[in-house]
Amino acid sequence: MHSDSIAANASNIPTAASNAKDFAKKKRVNRSAKLKQCKLDARREQWLSQVKNKSGKEESNGGTIVQPMATAGNRMGRAIEKLEIRPRVEEGNDGGSVHHYSDSESPSNSPMSHTGSVLGGNDSGTNFTGSSSSSSSSSSGGCCSGSMSEEDEDGEDGCLDDWEAVADALAATDEKQQLHIGTAPVDKNIAHFDSQSDVNHQTVSGIDISKEKPENGVSVQRAPVNCCAWRPDDAFRPQSLPNLSKQYSFPMNSDRHYGCGGSVWGCKNAASIPKSCPICYEDLDFTDSSFLPCSCGFRLCLFCHKRILEEDGRCPGCRKQYNYDPVEGEATLDGGSLTYRLGRSCSMITRS
Amino acid sequence: MQASRARLFKEYKEVQREKSADPDIQLVCDDSNIFKWNALIKGPSETPFEGGVFQLAFSVPEQYPLQPPQVRFLTKIFHPNVHFKTGEICLDILKNAWSPAWTLQSVCRAIIALMAHPEPDSPLNCDSGNLLRSGDIRGYQSMARMYTRLAAMPKKG
Repeated sequence: MHSDSIAANASNIPTAASNAKDFAKKKRVNRSAKLKQCKLDARREQWLSQVKNKSGKEESNGGTIVQPMATAGNRMGRAIEKLEIRPRVEEGNDGGSVHHYSDSESPSNSPMSHTGSVLGGNDSGTNFTGSSSSSSSSSSGGCCSGSMSEEDEDGEDGCLDDWEAVADALAATDEKQQLHIGTAPVDKNIAHFDSQSDVNHQTVSGIDISKEKPENGVSVQRAPVNCCAWRPDDAFRPQSLPNLSKQYSFPMNSDRHYGCGGSVWGCKNAASIPKSCPICYEDLDFTDSSFLPCSCGFRLCLFCHKRILEEDGRCPGCRKQYNYDPVEGEATLDGGSLTYRLGRSCSMITRS
Repeated sequence: MQASRARLFKEYKEVQREKSADPDIQLVCDDSNIFKWNALIKGPSETPFEGGVFQLAFSVPEQYPLQPPQVRFLTKIFHPNVHFKTGEICLDILKNAWSPAWTLQSVCRAIIALMAHPEPDSPLNCDSGNLLRSGDIRGYQSMARMYTRLAAMPKKG
């Protein structure tokens, strides 16, 4: 019976229940409770400011949100007629309602994350178009979402209902508002930055991808904004993000180095590097000429290298076995970076 | 197949371009078959082969340059590492020490070096090898010089 009442209440006060459940679940999360509390407080504030702006109807919800600890009482007040089983209902809040919500949570979970990802995708898409190549951005986006998933799972219990409420609020308002969340959360992120509510968090990480990328790449305009958002020593910086920035700062950096270093290197060492492959006499393109498969320094094109690996696998220069497996991608990458370093030292030698 | 043909074509162009680069070697490709080559090499100076011109026949496999070309002397030569009848050459770089970085031109150079520095311990011509191994340098040189005159020098008159 009380489950009925809760189900009925659920539509009225999703956030309150969510908060109660939030606490129940978050106890199990291994993050520090202090941080959680801080987050929750901040989220409450954010909710207040957000929901109050939306509509009066939402505002009433906002009222319940302000005092999530007192939700039981509020809920009782709302669950008017069924007041007689007040203690049992309260018990049920911790036990039954949690179960109930965890059930209803899984289906509504996917739309939430879906919307989140869509939001992030939209953001990144719009931001990327001008600044960086779509291929690299999409790849890094993949990395991000991959390493973000842990965070999502971590916080999805809490953020789910919040998100739903946000969605309600958004639906209540016009599309303009939605756009606001989509494209303008830069301000929001900064404003509620320390709050790190999970909803915010979703958008933040979505935005952050799109913001940090251009910063690394070309766009200078967004860089300062990003600097405001998350300093490396920020206590509220999400744990997954350092990995993220590392992850996609690496290819960017390497690309950048590769670009400038390569051009310099190409000019300087044109003489010392054969223009054509000594095996097939075909011209070495840039990839080939930055490919150094053997420590003896013998260069050849990737095609001939592959053919040699298929046969006896010995370096034509020193007749020693190539000492790694012909995993083409990695080998090429290693060779490339190695060559790059060598190229530099070579250019230094020629200079001195 | 295609790779070897392309490579041989490039080598051919290289040979045409640097015809005078190495006066001791003259490489010519068969008109109808790019996998058949002939080479004329001059006997190195201060050896019994000095003054002689030796003809080599190249048969290039389709796996070239991953596989070494087959080379043999068409001109009779008295040398411990060259079969006297068939002209087969015992040279490591034509067997297991082959490297795809070698070219037909460099093979010719290696053969010239082999003429100057015979390896009597792995003989194909046992008579020649035995002369060298027994220390009869003079006997070896006179035999080699005789065959050079007989086979590798233009006939006088």
